[in-house]
Amino acid sequence: MDDFEKHIKENKLLFDEHKPDKAKLWQHIESELNVTSKVKTVKLWRSSMMKIAATIIILIGVFSLTTTFTASNESNDFANQELNDIDTYYKGLVSFQVELVKNNSKLSTEDKEEFLSFMEELDKEHLLLKKEMTANLNNEYILEAIVQNYKKRIELIENLLEQIKDSKKSDDNEGYIL
Amino acid sequence: MKTNILYTHKDLIEKSKSGDRNSQYKLYELYIDAMYNVSMRILGIREDAEDIIQDSFVDAFKNLTSFRYESTFGSWLKRIVINKSINHLKLKKVPVTPLEQHEYYIGEEINEPVKTMDITKIKKGIAQLPDGYKQIINLYLIEGYDHIEISEILKISSSTSKSQYHRAKKKLIQIINTLE
Repeated sequence: MDDFEKHIKENKLLFDEHKPDKAKLWQHIESELNVTSKVKTVKLWRSSMMKIAATIIILIGVFSLTTTFTASNESNDFANQELNDIDTYYKGLVSFQVELVKNNSKLSTEDKEEFLSFMEELDKEHLLLKKEMTANLNNEYILEAIVQNYKKRIELIENLLEQIKDSKKSDDNEGYIL
Repeated sequence: MKTNILYTHKDLIEKSKSGDRNSQYKLYELYIDAMYNVSMRILGIREDAEDIIQDSFVDAFKNLTSFRYESTFGSWLKRIVINKSINHLKLKKVPVTPLEQHEYYIGEEINEPVKTMDITKIKKGIAQLPDGYKQIINLYLIEGYDHIEISEILKISSSTSKSQYHRAKKKLIQIINTLE
């Protein structure tokens, strides 16, 4: 670098001889920035990155919705399966008990008929409840009613057992007395 | 020390990034004079320089998030102004480099000595330089870019930048010496 070049570089500031109209220029810059900052929010959705992001979010949303939906369906199936199991168990139990009662010689015909009529009634009620159940599984009242229905059957059976025991006892007593 | 220079006005820059108009104005006020003169030296026309400056500041503030303190804010901004100014000249079909490409220019042994060191005369001389010579003198002597940087700005090779600078300097001295 020669003296000429050095001289110019050292006096660089002297070459800044122009004075800009600061206020006017800033006014333009500011208005432009205001416009672009407003447009920016719209532009965001126009950018391909945002489009991709939005698509991903929508896909995730749809996926999670369908999975939770199918999951709840599955749980419905499980609930149904469980109900069916309970049902068949009770049906078996009840029919067995009914047969026992019918064949029991120690019970009076009156008692037998009373028991059987109760059972029939409960059967009818139970069928109704089952129909309701398929219409809307999550109804608390129906579920409660089904439980009540089962409880009544158990109660009935228990009562009958008591009666059989009592009659047995009286039989024993009779024997003992004799 | 170097990082201290790079982080000049960091506070203002960070606030400007988040769109704080006050900080943006403060930055503008700090740099407007220098930037306006950079653009004026390249373009020479007040209206053109004003357009370029407005455009540069708007662009700079809009893209401030891409500024990561790899250089000073001033030199980052200046590069925007220079690129925009040079592009403007190209759009107007004003040559930014000498028309004839003398790739095999041999430095002349007999260089004319400069008769005067008067800055006013040097300014006049630069103003009278043909369009193609003016930019390289500006970029090298006044803006302080090296030939690698100039080659990037003018999209020429750095050896072309060197040879053209020497030719431009010779021409400038010739002009200055004829000034009275």
